[in-house]
Amino acid sequence: MKKERRQFIKGACASAFGVACVSGLGIAKSNAHKDKNETNCKYALIHDENKCIGCDACSVACREANDVPDGVSRLEIEREGPFGEYPNQFYRFTRKSCQQCEGKPCVNVCPTGAAYHDPSTGIVSVDEWKCVGCLYCIAACPYQIRFINPVTKAADKCDFCKETRLKEGRQPACVEACPTKALTFGDLKDPHSQVVEVLKATPNYRSKTELGTRPKVFRIASQEGEIKL
Amino acid sequence: MSPFHFDSLVWHWPIAIYLFLAGISAGAICFAVLLKHFKLGKNAYKSSFVRAACLIAPLAVFAGLGILVIDLTKPFDFWKILVFYNPTSVMSIGVAVLLIYQVALFAWLACLFKEPILKWCNNRWPVVDKVLNAFTKWEATITGLLVILALGLGAYTGFLLSALTTFPMLNNPVLPLLFLISGISSGAAGTLLGGVLMKGNPDGKEVHFIHNIEIPLILLELALLFTFFVGLILTGGQSQAAALNAIGEGFWGWIFWGGVVVVGLAMPLAFNLFMTASAKRKFSYVAITASCSLFGVLLLRNFILYTGQMTVA
Ligand code: SF4
Ligand code: SF4
Ligand code: SF4
Repeated sequence: MKKERRQFIKGACASAFGVACVSGLGIAKSNAHKDKNETNCKYALIHDENKCIGCDACSVACREANDVPDGVSRLEIEREGPFGEYPNQFYRFTRKSCQQCEGKPCVNVCPTGAAYHDPSTGIVSVDEWKCVGCLYCIAACPYQIRFINPVTKAADKCDFCKETRLKEGRQPACVEACPTKALTFGDLKDPHSQVVEVLKATPNYRSKTELGTRPKVFRIASQEGEIKL
Repeated sequence: MSPFHFDSLVWHWPIAIYLFLAGISAGAICFAVLLKHFKLGKNAYKSSFVRAACLIAPLAVFAGLGILVIDLTKPFDFWKILVFYNPTSVMSIGVAVLLIYQVALFAWLACLFKEPILKWCNNRWPVVDKVLNAFTKWEATITGLLVILALGLGAYTGFLLSALTTFPMLNNPVLPLLFLISGISSGAAGTLLGGVLMKGNPDGKEVHFIHNIEIPLILLELALLFTFFVGLILTGGQSQAAALNAIGEGFWGWIFWGGVVVVGLAMPLAFNLFMTASAKRKFSYVAITASCSLFGVLLLRNFILYTGQMTVA
């Protein structure tokens, strides 16, 4: 009798422990799941090359907002042209800045982890302190937009204003500055965001996807200009 | 386009020298191991050639690491590379390999020079005896590990560049093999040159042994260079453009055909075949052949590094 009771108590304790463990695990899991859902956000940017007039307001605003020193830049507008006969001349404008690759070639090669992919925003960033300046990431970026910041001596590039405007709850500086609304910024994971709506409605392209970079900067191709082979 | 300054250039010549030094270190120690195990045995440490190789291997690695650190934009932060690791980064893995390689290298050197070290210590420090005896017990393991690490180091110099998808000429599967083989042949050349400069017999059995390995190495290197460029040309697109730009007319074209192919490969091959055919080897023959092939490997590193970064995908 005694023995049986002891065994029962043992069994009960064991099963209680088991249940506690399982439920605990379950809670931990669901919490983790919730966390993941809450931060499951991937910021993206669209540059509409039809709307862009090449005014450089975006790159000027970027320099100011992010304290980018002279001689280097996080954002440049490249122009091509003119196409056509005067007075019907056109230029093509393309945005040269970090493409926020999901394939993140720069992060993969960084020996210290200074180049990193922020899981809560999907933004690829640089940890200034960890960077030793080996230049490996600069060579690895197929878009050749990384540079050494002459002040911090660390690798630097566009981070969608993660440390400046986004922290203030605002849109990136270039997006706010653009007079023609050529830039659209938002969360790809939110089905109702403006970026998702524009991307669904308008044909768009990305640069150098054949290298497995999976960029989060989308472009709407200019209709003007000539057809290139 | 200027041969040394262009927009897409990120890594300059110090990196080429670093790659050269890492390769020569790996190559030299491989030959020291081979000489000891197949030719000289216990008395290996007495040979000028083995001594030369044993000087080159650690000095080249130190110099290479020094250059790498000075070349950082934040040289005083280099310790962060040793503290933080990123398993997906070839550079990070390479640094780890380099560190373990140095440990194995010194352990092996201790085994090799056991006798003279013990003589010199003259029982003053019993710890030294104990440590050396422990090393000798594990000598086979240390040697095996050292050879594997040396081969890894040689290949790493190529993987470091071939990981860059930005540049189609560098992002090439043949590159690590090419750098490994040319690194080993530079190790052979360094051993020979150092050996004869340290009064080694230019007609000794070490020279014959190394020359016998050098001939197939040069042939293999030529075959790899051929595969490297034909592969790029057949790939088409930017790979083809990169290859034709590199070996076509221009400064780097001259470096490639004149420096890498003729001085670095064809001439050493001819000299080697001539020396194998004619009976006696002289100091001048051995020294000139080795210098040519060292020069060729150094040019190859610079050539690949610069022309590789000229064409972007
Ligand atoms: S564009 Fe360059 S810097 Fe930006 S995420 Fe891609 S590889 Fe990295
Ligand atoms: S330069 Fe800095 S961020 Fe770039 S790979 Fe080197 S340590 Fe990483
Ligand atoms: S501010 Fe807008 S219109 Fe002006 S260059 Fe930038 S993207 Fe184009």
